[in-house]
Amino acid sequence: MLKELFLGGKKELEVVDKMKKHMGFLCSACTTLKAAIENRDKELISSVSDLEREGDIVRREIFSNIYEGAFLPFLRPNICRFVEIVDNALDVTKDAAIEYTDLELDEETKEDCARIADISAKMCEMLLAAIETLSGRADLREKSLAIRIYEKKVDEIEFDLLKRLRTKEIKNFWEGKALSDFIHDLTSISDLIEDASDYLQIINISLR
Amino acid sequence: MQPIPIIASVLIALSVGSNDTSNALGICIGCRIISFRRAVILFGVFVLIGILLQGRKVMKTVGKDIVEMDLRILGISLLVSAMLIIISNWKRLPVSTHQVIIGSLTGSGTALGADVNYGSLFEIFLSWALSPLAAFFASIMLYRAMEKTLSKLPFLQIERIIRVLLLASGIIIAYTTGANELATILGPIIHAGLIDETWAFLGGSFLVFLGAVLLSNRIIETIGSGITALDPYSGFAAQFGAGCCVFLFTSLGMPISTTYCIIGGITGVGMLKGTGTVSVNLLKKIALSWILAPTLAFLTCFIVIRTLT
Repeated sequence: MLKELFLGGKKELEVVDKMKKHMGFLCSACTTLKAAIENRDKELISSVSDLEREGDIVRREIFSNIYEGAFLPFLRPNICRFVEIVDNALDVTKDAAIEYTDLELDEETKEDCARIADISAKMCEMLLAAIETLSGRADLREKSLAIRIYEKKVDEIEFDLLKRLRTKEIKNFWEGKALSDFIHDLTSISDLIEDASDYLQIINISLR
Repeated sequence: MQPIPIIASVLIALSVGSNDTSNALGICIGCRIISFRRAVILFGVFVLIGILLQGRKVMKTVGKDIVEMDLRILGISLLVSAMLIIISNWKRLPVSTHQVIIGSLTGSGTALGADVNYGSLFEIFLSWALSPLAAFFASIMLYRAMEKTLSKLPFLQIERIIRVLLLASGIIIAYTTGANELATILGPIIHAGLIDETWAFLGGSFLVFLGAVLLSNRIIETIGSGITALDPYSGFAAQFGAGCCVFLFTSLGMPISTTYCIIGGITGVGMLKGTGTVSVNLLKKIALSWILAPTLAFLTCFIVIRTLT
């Protein structure tokens, strides 16, 4: 009873565990996307979709736990928003993976895209570590700062990538659209992870 | 004439039960820290403990020290108090039970030329003025202490501890509802010898409990849905600061309002976050009600008695 009293309630720990699981799916999805880009492996692309589906299940479970009374009502909207953002990141990862199926990228572009996916995966790991600080004493601000630095790197790569792609000849509208959508979704993952990290920071400071 | 004060006290006790459960445990129910059923039982139990352990001092102040009691003073005062409290609850105007009862007793006593103890009355007025201020500073100190201790803990531990603390502050308010609020209602009828003390304690607590069971649900629902916007940290500091303050004044035998203390506490915490967060207009309205409630009770009783005699 004392443990429950001072280390967090069962329902709250269950939600935090599920948030970690949800985040874990995003990490796996980003790592899989990176491998899929590097190896052009269609099976890996379909496993990103599977991870997104599993993420949806965990998201519903988290909402259900929160509805049953986990956390003070004051905190619930921000926790739900955090979970929604992570879920959006999973959705855009899946969209990027699907769009990549029909794309033919040159070596340089492929390398840049793989780097973006790799940084996104690292950001996911950092966010996962940030979630763990909710039940520990580690400093969340350091993790948030690292995530912001990673995001800046993605922005720089995206800027150079788009600059280079604009000089390339596009054969037809759909090819151009698919490439543009892919780049947009791929770079949105890091934006969403950064947003999620900001929400985690809000959740953390709201009780202090 | 004899049943009138008792009937009036029953009505006031029911009204206290319907309103003060939300004062005490509304936040805990809204946060689902405790179910409504358990909260109401807990409230009833602590009201009884409060009146049993500490009710006598406040009962003596209200029932014996203010005015030389007789059946006419008692009947008119409690009847007018019950009516004013029920009307204000119906119209959703915040009035303090203590202020109405004490204003009524003084008004009736003055109208009938009874011996009114102005020294005692002055002490009570002073308590009414000082208690919100004491709650103001207690909440500020509590908030600062929490910032220096609790804030350093991991998030999940803070969340858990705040749940426990909110429950503890709710229990303190329930206790002081018995020791102060119920004592104010029962003091006059016990000291007039209309009812035996033990039966009054048990019956009064039961009536407060009954009021909570039958009538508090709607008010608690309002508070429960409203508290999502509340910051539990500030809410706890304000409620616990107010609870400690009422506890202190109860030990001194002073009948003071829990609601005004909570308002003092909330203002204190609000001031810490910046003066802009405190609505001066609302505070003015509350201050007006603070003056009007006992004045209105005094004048109503005075006029009623002068008209009847």
